[in-house]
Amino acid sequence: MPSKLPQFEDHSNQETKFTTCYMCACRCGIKVTVEDNLVRFIQGNKNHPINKGVLCAKGNAGIMKQNSPGKLTQPLMRKQGSERGEGDFEPVSWDTALDYLTKRLDKIRKTDPKKLAFFTGRDQMQALTGFWAQQFGTINWAAHGGFCSVNMAAAGLYTTGQSFWEFGDPDWDRTKYFMMWGVAEDHNSNPIKIGLEKLKRRGAKFVSINPVRTGYQAIADEWVPVKPGTDGMLALSMVHVLLKNDLFDWEYVLRYTNATQLVVHTPQEVGDGLIYRDEEGQPLAWDQEQEKFIDATLAGTMPALFGEYQTPEGKTVKTSFTLLAERYLAEEYSPEVATKTCGVPADVIERLALEMAHVAFEESIEVKTEWTDWSGKKHDSFIGRPVSMHAMRGVSAHSNGFQACRSIHLLQVLLGTVDVPGGHLAKPPFPKHVCPPIKPAKPKAPGEPLDGPPLGFPTCPEDLVIDDDGNPLRIDKAYSWEAPLANHGLMHMVITNAVNGDPYPIDTLIFFMANMSWNSSMNTGKIRDLLREKDDKGDYKLPFLVVADAFHSEMVAFADLVLPDTTYLERYDTISMLDRPISEPDAVCDAIRAPVIEIDRDVRPWQEVMVDLATRLKFPAFTKEDGSPKYEGYKDFIINFEKAPGIGFLAGWRGKDGEKSLRGEPNPNQWGKYIENECFFQYKLAKHERFYRFANKDYLEFAKKAGFTHTTKPIIMELYSETLQKFRLAGLGLYDGPQPKDERDQYRTSRFFDPLPEFYIPLEQRCTSLEEYPFHAITQRPMMMYHSWDSQNAWLRQLLAQNYMYMNRQKAEEMGIEDLSWIWLESKTGRIRVQVKLMEGTEKTTVWTWNAVGKQRGTWGLDPEANESNQGFLLNHLINEHLPCGDTGRPITNSDPITGQAAWYDLQVKIYPAKKGEIGVWPSFETIKPLPGSERTKDKLRYQTHEAVRLNRSLKDILTRGNTKRNK
Amino acid sequence: MKLGLVIDLDTCVGCNACAVACKQWNTSGTTGPLTDFEPYGKDPTGVWFNRIRNYEVGDYPNSKTVHFPMSCMHCDDAACVTVCPTGASYKREEDGIVLVDQDKCMGCNYCAWACPYGARELDREDGVMKKCTLCVDRIYDENLPEEERQPACVMTCPTSARYFGDFDDPNSEVSIISRERNGEQLMPELGYEPVNKYLPPREKKKVETYVNETNSIKAVKDWVNRLVAR
Amino acid sequence: MHPALSVIFFTVTSGAGYGLFAITCIYNSVSQTNPLGAHGVLLSSAIALGLITVGLISSTFHLANPKNAWRAFSRVRTSWLAREGLLAILFYPVAALYMFTVWKDVGGYNWLVIISMLSALWAITTIFSTGMIYACLKTIRQWHNPLTPINYILLGAMLGGLMFLFIVSMYEPVITGLVVTSTYLIIIAAIAKIIYFFWIGVPAGPTINTATSFTSSMVRLFDVGHTAGTFLTEEFGYEVARARLIALRWLVFLFAFTVPGLVLWAGVGFMPISVVFAVAVISAFVGVMIERWLFFAEARHVVNLYHGKQQC
Repeated sequence: MPSKLPQFEDHSNQETKFTTCYMCACRCGIKVTVEDNLVRFIQGNKNHPINKGVLCAKGNAGIMKQNSPGKLTQPLMRKQGSERGEGDFEPVSWDTALDYLTKRLDKIRKTDPKKLAFFTGRDQMQALTGFWAQQFGTINWAAHGGFCSVNMAAAGLYTTGQSFWEFGDPDWDRTKYFMMWGVAEDHNSNPIKIGLEKLKRRGAKFVSINPVRTGYQAIADEWVPVKPGTDGMLALSMVHVLLKNDLFDWEYVLRYTNATQLVVHTPQEVGDGLIYRDEEGQPLAWDQEQEKFIDATLAGTMPALFGEYQTPEGKTVKTSFTLLAERYLAEEYSPEVATKTCGVPADVIERLALEMAHVAFEESIEVKTEWTDWSGKKHDSFIGRPVSMHAMRGVSAHSNGFQACRSIHLLQVLLGTVDVPGGHLAKPPFPKHVCPPIKPAKPKAPGEPLDGPPLGFPTCPEDLVIDDDGNPLRIDKAYSWEAPLANHGLMHMVITNAVNGDPYPIDTLIFFMANMSWNSSMNTGKIRDLLREKDDKGDYKLPFLVVADAFHSEMVAFADLVLPDTTYLERYDTISMLDRPISEPDAVCDAIRAPVIEIDRDVRPWQEVMVDLATRLKFPAFTKEDGSPKYEGYKDFIINFEKAPGIGFLAGWRGKDGEKSLRGEPNPNQWGKYIENECFFQYKLAKHERFYRFANKDYLEFAKKAGFTHTTKPIIMELYSETLQKFRLAGLGLYDGPQPKDERDQYRTSRFFDPLPEFYIPLEQRCTSLEEYPFHAITQRPMMMYHSWDSQNAWLRQLLAQNYMYMNRQKAEEMGIEDLSWIWLESKTGRIRVQVKLMEGTEKTTVWTWNAVGKQRGTWGLDPEANESNQGFLLNHLINEHLPCGDTGRPITNSDPITGQAAWYDLQVKIYPAKKGEIGVWPSFETIKPLPGSERTKDKLRYQTHEAVRLNRSLKDILTRGNTKRNK
Repeated sequence: MKLGLVIDLDTCVGCNACAVACKQWNTSGTTGPLTDFEPYGKDPTGVWFNRIRNYEVGDYPNSKTVHFPMSCMHCDDAACVTVCPTGASYKREEDGIVLVDQDKCMGCNYCAWACPYGARELDREDGVMKKCTLCVDRIYDENLPEEERQPACVMTCPTSARYFGDFDDPNSEVSIISRERNGEQLMPELGYEPVNKYLPPREKKKVETYVNETNSIKAVKDWVNRLVAR
Repeated sequence: MHPALSVIFFTVTSGAGYGLFAITCIYNSVSQTNPLGAHGVLLSSAIALGLITVGLISSTFHLANPKNAWRAFSRVRTSWLAREGLLAILFYPVAALYMFTVWKDVGGYNWLVIISMLSALWAITTIFSTGMIYACLKTIRQWHNPLTPINYILLGAMLGGLMFLFIVSMYEPVITGLVVTSTYLIIIAAIAKIIYFFWIGVPAGPTINTATSFTSSMVRLFDVGHTAGTFLTEEFGYEVARARLIALRWLVFLFAFTVPGLVLWAGVGFMPISVVFAVAVISAFVGVMIERWLFFAEARHVVNLYHGKQQC
């Protein structure tokens, strides 16, 4: 037995509190031990649905976030007479800052509310910020999804009603075959890690499709190095193999998708390619028994999956699945042809498809539970096709990402794996109907709130946010012909557009937690110049810039007003069902943050500031009839605000006494209840409500009651997208409604809005000579920094403070490029000088680096000599925010033409060795001054919350023990 | 007892959670603080007990990336203890944990020279050698909930790539798993009998392909509609 | 291995000191016509003790926490470092007894022989222990072999011998026998060193494959896991260009062996005999310092395998 040990920790002096991590977007539950207002230890909360007790490197480094000298400490105003970007600030009081801002915003609101643009970065309070914007009356609001992964969200919601990202999960407990596409790390950071281990333990196969073998790919059973931007082709080629071998889930496709719906085939005519509908607008199918057209949504019919029919009006119609099969059976999708595009050997493509088919159809599983489908038919089990997939930025951040992601969804659907046991499972509030019936708001009269949230889901050209001439109404040109389905906005275009007055100048831009003068913008150097650009009168073209952030990011120096936020350990927060909740596939979950340590500087939680501003500006929803404030502050707002009767930000412990879940009147003690329950709420779905939820009667009824959906009708997956076809018709001039006037918009809509998932060469490549620029240049974030905007973290930066350009060793040897030599990387937009590092696990035409490691000198509380600022670099300089296709006409965003997703990974570059003596990272930027009141960086850090209690060895033991081996 | 770790190279994704958890716990632990130098400056460095290295095995395209966490192996025949002149380094008789008595170490680095695994790091500020304690200040702390009486690295590992337990007990999880999955020692030829074991990556999973000999579709017309009720 | 100057200085000077002391004792007890007399023997012994002491003090500069240095004798049961420390400290009373014997001329010849041999053996054992500090480390192939203590002893004896020549030369100008002995010592030490350099040139021991347990394919380091250096890279990652190492090896042979050997025979007659021996001593010291620096700089700790070396 162990000898007596000293008491190492004085637990009586420690307090344990629960809250939610915010080191990245994963939102794990954490248990924080606090000692003298210092964090002793942050660990995963074992009861928490997301992380089940584990915690990643970022979460474990929370202490050093709290301890960072880069924290902002007080509100700041740009010094009179100083130039933007110099970082010359004067401290001001919160009252001064908010009075000033209120006055400015009030004027905008009463004259032209869209002159306020409010864009938020990596926050997760979009339900609040969006609502605030709606109440303000500006359509110019979005979060960062447009430069993150909107393609994934949009492709999912326009196809299956559920998406990758964090909105669904593979069925980790049952899947037997898991294919991961383009995932470095994810919002789902810990759940994926937990899940992968489960897979491996059960002996499931894990295939990774990724040009780079690091992180998760390392433990894949099979690594498929694909050429960047060609995942869509790979997926469609697998579709080809499945169809050719007649291997798809006939019943699943027939019952749950729009495969049987008939599509009008009248080429070159208005209405071509639209769904053939009856007078009520119901889609029609062909019933094989009745031999007539029937409402395709009816149950109990015998619709034809294949076929071509003549309508009474004399039109030819085909089932959408016929079109689909015709398309993908074509030779151009055969593995032999596809391999030329995606670089994956033909036999591998074929084998992967047939392996998945084997698992789906020969190794299918059954979960015995009685359930009722939407038509009232009872089933005694859920049939599962245990093939699952996950995809993320590698697929998403290309200008063909929307269609590539749809292609992956198509593959999932053909295999019958969406929301079935062993497949990909949605997390409530998903699945949603394809697609959710929320339209993007259009401008209203000054002073009035918008009719709905600024972001929504257009389904036809009429939903676009454009003026009568077809010009964009939003500053980011979202929902214009340039990016019709820009469901998350185009934050990456805001600065460029606002400064260029294109489509119009604005007055004030508020950025929350977004580093748009650095790693979150394309063409960083130019964007920094734009932020400083003045008009003839000497005024900034972007008149007023407000930056709200907790840290001294590169963006801060460009602010006219800096509003300092708290850290995640110092505030209340909601991770809401109205927003991006933490649900699990089998449970509705949301969570809060509650402060674990006290604030020690003059900072305020941004959500508190927003409620304060809303009150000062007298937004209708925040003001009583007598003009007095409706809410005392953020906490009060959260528990009392109701979006619909009984539905508020927090779903747990509703009802006066906290007895109701999901829906119920406000509970004054709701925060207390959450804190009592470790800061999260979990509502387990009944066993019969966990699968086939798109067609599961009980679930659909439950979802409507909980406010997740608007109807109890089944969700019909749209393999063939009529929405896309409408835009395409508009582009072709065959749409009875708004049509694009600009030739390029006409081309883009007619070419890329294919109603069937389609592969096309990414836009930048279409105008770039691959002989001249033969490499794809991409980035990824290292796991310990993914989504954490935290390179200043004293612990994490020891692991990685400098990035290299990685490339394939064999390729480098062919080119005579040596390990660790300096090279130039040149795109059509610019060039950078970087150090190259050779490795095995990189596809031969790919080069890559760790993103956002490079920092501007003097920011983030780092010493100007820090490695990040001297050896670290950004790839952003090479990526243009406009398509680098130097042709005529207006500049067009370098984004997916459908969703406006920033096409970060479309970048094509050439590589050549630097000349002798050309050493060091280029370009480099000026050093930012320290902020007033900022700490000087220390050369030593000795963090501990109490004097260590030592464990001593006795003298007797020292003198009497032999060597360890002999002792055994 | 012979306490130690099993590291699963089949599931480690190199996320560094264990390394940072270790840093976090131990900087306020019994051998803390773990000094960091130039934490915000050029070439930040510091004392860590657990470091993750990353290797590539084989050549492209058949290369495999391997993430490789390393901390003290708590060797049966711990050379670091053998060579220590002061007796500051010792292997606890009761559980085999190799520790450094911070009050007795003279900072001669000799133990680090003797250790093949790079498990020991001198804290230049304190002038003493520091190393993994297997969280001796957690695993026996009866004030912690029982399930938390494990090393911080093990508790936090998101891919369950770390196991902690008693190798003397043939029925412990660590004994069973290292037996079943051929847990290996690192540099066994040196003969230090490292207690920690590394589980090699599992055999690649083989999946059959679906061979559909009856149906080969060349065009849509090859399909005959089935009567399936919606 | 990072060559720490304090340790280089310690091993060279204390080695020379023990060598000188041992040779003084042996020569004094076996030589029929000792030209030194008691005065010379005591002077020689005192110089030896001085070197030993300076060396030992220097060694403590290597300690990060010298206040605990006194504990260094605790683990003689297992630690060569503790053994060396203890032998070094206990050498002082032995040396004192020897010097007392010589000074007071007590105990008769037999006692003188006994105490001389004891002191000499003690001194040589102490150098041996110093060598064993390094030789016992299986982690460093270049050290872990019998040549390490042999080199330490031979080079200590060689340096001691040359110094003894110098001291004797102040008393007696013609000492051919001693010159011959010293020359033999130089030749043997040089041969041992040649063997050593050849021996460490043959790759052996653990590889990156056995270090990582992946033994069937090529293993390459992808990322070491930290951007800046660590204690491990600073202590063990010391790298010197191959060409420079070779050049330094030539310098070792030039200064440690060739110059002393040549001046012993060729220098006599050209310059005063003391100057000849002084040149030999200084040159040998420089040479052995370089040799010792190389001893560290060429040592490859197996932890480097984890930092990407294929073999150490």
